[in-house]
Amino acid sequence: MSEAENRLNRRLFLHIPTVFLVIFFVLPLIALVVLSFWQTENYKIVREWTAMNYVTLATEPAYFIFFIRSLFMAIFVSVFSVVVSWPIAFFIVRYGGRYKLILSLLLAVPFLSGEVLRLIALQGMLGPTGLVNGVLLKLGAAPLRFIMYSNSATFIALVYLYLPMVVTTVYLSLLNFDFRLASAASACGANRFRIFSEIVWPLNLSGTIVGFLLCFIPTLSAALAPRFLGGPNGVLYGMSIAQQFGESGTWALGAAMGVVLFLFSMLVLGVFSLGIDLRRTGFTGMGRQ
Amino acid sequence: MYAQASNERLTKWLMGAILVVAYAFLYMPIVHILFASLSSRPNFPYPPEFDYGSYIRLYTNTVYQDAFLNSLIIATCTSILSTVLGFLATVGVLRFGGRNALLYAAFFAGPLFVSEILLGISSMSLYYLVFELQGNMVTAIIANSVHCFSFCFLIMAALLYRYDWRMNEAAVVCGASPARAFYEVMLPLTWSGILGSLIVAFVLSLNGLDISFYLLGATPTMPSVAWGALRYGVKPELYALSSIINILVFAAIAVLYLVARSDRKQQVE
Repeated sequence: MSEAENRLNRRLFLHIPTVFLVIFFVLPLIALVVLSFWQTENYKIVREWTAMNYVTLATEPAYFIFFIRSLFMAIFVSVFSVVVSWPIAFFIVRYGGRYKLILSLLLAVPFLSGEVLRLIALQGMLGPTGLVNGVLLKLGAAPLRFIMYSNSATFIALVYLYLPMVVTTVYLSLLNFDFRLASAASACGANRFRIFSEIVWPLNLSGTIVGFLLCFIPTLSAALAPRFLGGPNGVLYGMSIAQQFGESGTWALGAAMGVVLFLFSMLVLGVFSLGIDLRRTGFTGMGRQ
Repeated sequence: MYAQASNERLTKWLMGAILVVAYAFLYMPIVHILFASLSSRPNFPYPPEFDYGSYIRLYTNTVYQDAFLNSLIIATCTSILSTVLGFLATVGVLRFGGRNALLYAAFFAGPLFVSEILLGISSMSLYYLVFELQGNMVTAIIANSVHCFSFCFLIMAALLYRYDWRMNEAAVVCGASPARAFYEVMLPLTWSGILGSLIVAFVLSLNGLDISFYLLGATPTMPSVAWGALRYGVKPELYALSSIINILVFAAIAVLYLVARSDRKQQVE
């Protein structure tokens, strides 16, 4: 291929998606920042530069409480999902045999059916008239209060929503992992704990971190699950943002909250990505080139 | 030695048990609402019965019909747009990326790490509040495409990294135009990745609420109507709608499975 042709192809294949993302992904985020420095009065935008929204966020304790609650929720959900994902993914890769593909694709069905529909399904399980309490009532036991309209209900819902994503990521990482390395360590006399802690875990750490982040970031901004299942003490940060853009019409404040959320997500992403080597995630399959 | 072997078996069974519990956790709600939608007693539909009342009510409800049509348009356009862009990005990164391949890959995967609600409100800020544009289907399609683009890119990159680019060059050397090389050499070999990306993007944008919700204003989509109906309590119609979508998703995944399996057979041959 000639040099000029190569440059033309680069332009075609790399620059079109890049331009698309810059216009429709980066530019909106900049617009969000701009909006966060304006004001909303009576459902109208006032285009005057002010930092009032950020002052409100810093001084109003409610927003801080929502944020901390979301943060803890996101940490618990993501850590729990990663801990559960490892044995599942490991089992599929090691013992799945010819059912590997079926088992991994079955994870996609609950993931793809959408947040709203999955929440409807969960409500059918957990709600006051749901299956769990229905069974308990039939057995003559008292209904479980903690799974109705509480933070634990939100926790269960968020695990339900994002567990498939984490399992898939860890699975892809383990799938691209060369298990002969573990056999080699075993032949050299390492016990199973040592093989895991010195070979399997570190070499799949990048994929695990990606899985953790793909769960952590959406749960940090979860809006639908707490609104539907969280009850009176379950207001989370993302839900509060949705309210600013919805009922209360205070878009500028909502934009400021969005900017804070975005910056915090980027901070977490930055800190964790120090531990990520994209070539080892197995997610892009680029390690085998 | 014997102790270690039994230990290993114990670990295997323990992991298998966790897998079974997790799959049960993921599928029990779906199966439960399928039974509930088919029952005249949706709260506790056991033993199962077969009553199609909720499906008939869903079918005759025009609100759901409009919403479903809108969602179908958004999902179709989004899946095509994001797959085309994702294909360009995949080829770009894998073939023309050079030293910056990882940088481009990280940028293309970026929307995955920005939550849907942020994508929704930031696009809304740009269109409504800065340019004062009314919400329409086009903006919703574009915003959904940004989100689905990353999924398409990763799916196709994962399936295309084994592709041997010399085949395209060979075709060109033999006198084929680049377009013909694409249609006759590349497309037959990579269509499973393209199909997978189309299906995933279609289903994701069909069912996603957050992005379309902020960009469409009053235009109803299937998830937004379902969400609105939720406020007045869960009705059996919603269970029926949910079950239909779940069955569709299941069918799409089954297609993917068959395609992937026939692909693998071809490789073995």
